Amino acid sequence: MRARRILAIVFIFVLLCPAVAHADEPYSNYNYDFWGTPIPAPAAYVPSRIIDGRALDIDNFNKPSDLFTGPDNRLYVADSGNSRIVVINENWELDRIIDGFDKNGVRDTFRNPQGLFVTPTGEIYVADTDNSRIVHLDPDGKFIREIGPPVSDIIPADFKYYPTALVVDKANRIYIVAQGVNQGLIELDHNGDFVGYTGASKVKFNLIDYTWKMIATDEQRERMVLFVPTEYNNIDIDNDGFLYVTTGTIALEDIDYAIRTRSKDDRYAPVRKLNPTGTDVLRRNGYFPPVGDVSFRSRGYAEAGHSQLYDVCVEDSGIYSVLDKKKGRIFTYDTDGNLLYVFGGIGNRLGNFRDPVALDIINDQFVVLDFNMAQITVFEPTEYGRLVKEAVELHLNGKYDESAARWEQVLKYNANCELAYIGMGKAYLRKDDFRNAMKYFKLGNKRDYYSKAFDLYRQEVIGDNFGLVVAGLVVLYIGSRVLKRIRVRKKAGLKAMGKVEA
Amino acid sequence: MEVLQSLRYSLYLIFHPFDGFWDLKHEKKGNLKTAMLIVAMVCVTFILRRQLTGFILNEVKLRELNIIVEILSVALPFFLWCVANWCLTTLMDGEGSFKDIVITSAYALIPIILINLPLIVFSNIITLEEAAFYRFFDILAIVWAGVLLFLGTSVVHQYSLTKTFLTSICIVIGMGLIIFIALLFFSLLQQMFSFFYTIYKEVALRL
Repeated sequence: MRARRILAIVFIFVLLCPAVAHADEPYSNYNYDFWGTPIPAPAAYVPSRIIDGRALDIDNFNKPSDLFTGPDNRLYVADSGNSRIVVINENWELDRIIDGFDKNGVRDTFRNPQGLFVTPTGEIYVADTDNSRIVHLDPDGKFIREIGPPVSDIIPADFKYYPTALVVDKANRIYIVAQGVNQGLIELDHNGDFVGYTGASKVKFNLIDYTWKMIATDEQRERMVLFVPTEYNNIDIDNDGFLYVTTGTIALEDIDYAIRTRSKDDRYAPVRKLNPTGTDVLRRNGYFPPVGDVSFRSRGYAEAGHSQLYDVCVEDSGIYSVLDKKKGRIFTYDTDGNLLYVFGGIGNRLGNFRDPVALDIINDQFVVLDFNMAQITVFEPTEYGRLVKEAVELHLNGKYDESAARWEQVLKYNANCELAYIGMGKAYLRKDDFRNAMKYFKLGNKRDYYSKAFDLYRQEVIGDNFGLVVAGLVVLYIGSRVLKRIRVRKKAGLKAMGKVEA
Repeated sequence: MEVLQSLRYSLYLIFHPFDGFWDLKHEKKGNLKTAMLIVAMVCVTFILRRQLTGFILNEVKLRELNIIVEILSVALPFFLWCVANWCLTTLMDGEGSFKDIVITSAYALIPIILINLPLIVFSNIITLEEAAFYRFFDILAIVWAGVLLFLGTSVVHQYSLTKTFLTSICIVIGMGLIIFIALLFFSLLQQMFSFFYTIYKEVALRL
């Protein structure tokens, strides 16, 4: 009787208890395991607020196309349709609007500015797209100079110059993404003079293509798709001056191939990290190359198809995130190319987008600009997201033990986090606890590190049992000798017996 | 007892293929029972290899084992080879009967078992740097078995080496043809079935 009553009370209690850990983000949170299966994961970032014209108490944005986090955490928005730059301060309030400037005594305005960049000193570079120029303003919004279309022998005279995105490095070199340029980025020196194109992927010799072209007729050859080098669509720069670029012109078959073969080849890479010579140096040591989604339904479903990377933003630690314009997802990768977390989606609720075009990070919060809905969505990290990020950053800074402690906590939230197992394994490996290291590397499906741990473990085992191993070998050797002798004797004996009989 | 003896004979055969295959046929050293046992053992070897190869060298999903698929992936090519072999050699004055072919081909697979079983153990005690040895023996097993299959065909049909070589190529093509015809047959059957089913449905709905 008493037991039943207790049971009843427990039941009532359970029924009354609100559901804990209830996911209310309007998108799926997942990560890919070693085999490319999307595994549900806790939310790493959740939407916290929407910023649009009404929230700032100004005219609504009109087709905004870029945003950028400047120094002292101001957010600069290129409100292209209204031809103005809106600056938002740290408290998400309007700081100021730059809708024109005084150019040598004449009032001048932007026309459809689609990209902007703010230097660490606060100077503003605006890609004034329809005016075919870059406008350079000082931190107060006063005109410094304008840089018109690049001039060079290698640029055709009828070239229409529409700059859409740009960055400026510490030496004031300007790298520009312009519409219809497929030779890479336009590089200008500090004076604004054309230096050259940079960052186009190299055309490599392909035997199969070559053979096909050899046997094809002239008409067929003409019909074959020309190999067009990459056309970049967005750009960011990290503290060391490496350029991060995204492109949407990789053939889908090539992306499929890269996923299938876990390829590290930059030719199939929709996101690249370019060094000053324009060569890709992005590390792609994750299970899959950073291409966004690696497993998706084929046509006919709502969330079918490949990711279409449209913007990239890199943090101080080297962690970078890419924006998938098609599915409205943000994929964050660490410096090795491991996928840390995924969030966002297409839709109409808070945290969804209709046409996301720009992404940046401000005070650990992601800001995503929606072209169609003309608003900015702010995402803030959850405890889980913060832990993952801290664990990666601590590891990069050489604080391995603290990093492992974070990973251990991550595992409490998400026992499917293979990255966390690898992190723990690395910590055990450093502590010479090879058995545990092996266990964790196995859980994390990290074969190369497992091999390393196993090698050391094997040495340890053989070292500890060296006497036993030697003794065993000696016994084997003597045993075999004795056996041989017995056999020989037996044979000899038999022979002798045979002789006697004969 | 007979089976055991025959298995023991296979150890002699793999090192002396010419004499071995000759005696296998003419001295009746081999029998069908043992041959089937060898094929079954190859199946088991492949399953063990799939499941027990060391973590470092094993990139398959251990949880998703389908024994039927694993068995078919050995048995189907084997019997396809035997059938194609018989079809062609009957036309090309081969002296081996179908039974001879099955026995010979089965005995040729012995190196796969003999090398792969120790290799499974070996794979558990090596690191990634030593994987080259593993790969070497892995390939050795296949090449050895391939050479034995070739020589076996040559001996059992009393072919010259050139003729065996050409026949082997034809056999492989023949295997492809058989698969093609089988697929064609099934696809036609399916279409016929769906055709009659549509007629039935049409009639049923009209009545």
